[in-house]
Amino acid sequence: MGEPRKKVLVVDDDPDDVKMISMILEPEGYDVITAENGEEALEKVESEGPDLILLDVMMPELDGFAACAKLKASPESKGIPVVLLTGVAKQITKTRYPIDGVLRAEAEEYLEKPVDPEELLKVVAGYLK
Amino acid sequence: MTITRKVNCWEGLSCEHGPDGPEPCPAALDVTSRGVNGGLNAGRICWTVPGTICGGEPHGDFVDKQDVCLNCPFFQQVRDEEGTAFRFVKLAQGLRDAESLHARITQVESLMGIHDQLRARFNLDAVIAEITRQARLLTQAQRSLVLVLRGKPPRLHGEFMLRGNTLQVDIPVDETSAVGYAALHNRVVNVKDAYRATAANDDAPFNRTFDDACECRTDSLLAVPVCDSDNRVLGVITAANSAKGSFSQDDQWFMERYAVEVALALEKARLLQDAVAAGRMASISESLASLSHFLKDVAHALMGSSYIIRRGIERGRMEDIKSAWEILDRHVKRLAQLCKDVLTYDPERPDEICPGDLNETVAEAVSLLQEEARTRALKLGTDLGPGLAQWRHSKRGIYQCVVNLVVNAFDACLPGGGHVTVTTERCGEEAAIRVADDGRGMDEETREQVLEVFRTGDKTRGSGIGLPTVVDVMERCGGRLEIESEPGKGSTFSILLPESP
Repeated sequence: MGEPRKKVLVVDDDPDDVKMISMILEPEGYDVITAENGEEALEKVESEGPDLILLDVMMPELDGFAACAKLKASPESKGIPVVLLTGVAKQITKTRYPIDGVLRAEAEEYLEKPVDPEELLKVVAGYLK
Repeated sequence: MTITRKVNCWEGLSCEHGPDGPEPCPAALDVTSRGVNGGLNAGRICWTVPGTICGGEPHGDFVDKQDVCLNCPFFQQVRDEEGTAFRFVKLAQGLRDAESLHARITQVESLMGIHDQLRARFNLDAVIAEITRQARLLTQAQRSLVLVLRGKPPRLHGEFMLRGNTLQVDIPVDETSAVGYAALHNRVVNVKDAYRATAANDDAPFNRTFDDACECRTDSLLAVPVCDSDNRVLGVITAANSAKGSFSQDDQWFMERYAVEVALALEKARLLQDAVAAGRMASISESLASLSHFLKDVAHALMGSSYIIRRGIERGRMEDIKSAWEILDRHVKRLAQLCKDVLTYDPERPDEICPGDLNETVAEAVSLLQEEARTRALKLGTDLGPGLAQWRHSKRGIYQCVVNLVVNAFDACLPGGGHVTVTTERCGEEAAIRVADDGRGMDEETREQVLEVFRTGDKTRGSGIGLPTVVDVMERCGGRLEIESEPGKGSTFSILLPESP
């Protein structure tokens, strides 16, 4: 005891999704803070200083990829690892959004939904422990 | 050694509401759960069945009765007995568990893969070149050519390479040449020795024009008609100058098979060029993508909540279990209502037209397309009017119409952004569902063409997700379509449903 709990910022506009991820992470000893969109995420980074960001790709105001790009461009947040949760089908990814080298380099990791909670925990632990 | 049968809840709890009793509990009657956790019907997964009669009182669904169920000794007994195989979740009919859902996702994705392959650029010339190459090899011919009927009146047209030059040939469909004769009479023509007396050949003429023009000599010629599935001639495939001296019956047999391959290739090329088909393929693609995404969303929620429930049970975290179950329940219901209809589309099933909330149906269809809108950087909005809470309609039919029209609207939007709005409005005795876009719009001619599809009910293109489906649905419910459009300004497609069809 004595070591501060690691903070994970979950960025997702679906309250069910956010709740679920919180219930998976909190029992494992992580503090979960949330933001509903990319703009709010930037604010929370500044006020809370999370250690990892879980970003859902499809969101309203600021598309997940764009949000990630912004986070990586800002000096305060660019050192924080970002894991993107994407629900985009593989075929679409390949043929419709040619997710080029630039975007791929922005996030540390991609997890495709449906995400296995055990897998998610392993990835999070990988970045935080 | 003792062999014990697994105990069902009505036995374990000694209640009178077993399947043989006077008033069986819904758990005892739920055949879709048969075998789960080794039980008879839902006898060992009773907590998932709404309305079970425990302790004499009928209960609500799991969300209502979770406190009772999770503390029930029978629940705990089943959990302990089943160990790692314990199933505590049951999905809607047809989707028994998360594995089935994954299987369904895989199916949709493989369908998308196939669809993308089919839609991939089809190179007719390359296919024909390969067919003629094989035909030459197999019949030991010096040359092979495919001639296709074109123009009005139809003439046989072909292209070939000769001494480094590309030459074109254009032959009338009449009895002045072997290939013309073959096309005219839909008959195989086998010219065994072109320059000898015609008695040695079929009664088909041999025309020397080709030879003279190309400064070559044809000794033997096999011309086989290429026909579509209605046996209409599309063209002719030829082989010339057999190394054996003349073409045999075997050669003819092979060439007839090649003729079929050519017909298939020509049909496919025609279909792919066909604007309606191309439009429909785009719609299928988008709809599959949306569906896949929707399924994944649900699967994601299921995996997450199942995991939380399982861990909650292990650690005794009741609050987690309750919250997770509520999330699960919401998604299961969403899945059961929306997804099942689309996935298990059964053309044999009579379309149920019954009163219901038209706005709800439209909103559901639109929500499925929000992801697609975002990926294309388009805005998709709704404006749903009053007075439509009890409108007679086919949920599935309207759902499909809206999906199809919205996807077409997406396609019409110009790069750089666009807006698609779906509105509903009650107009006297009709309900209007309008899909408006601010895209490229249509000129009068195109508008007429689209309406023509509706007027003639041209369904020869086959059924599926596309305009023909909208035709179908409109016919069945006695509805009609209106189109307003201005080039450069956008279009509004309106479907109008009568109050009583």
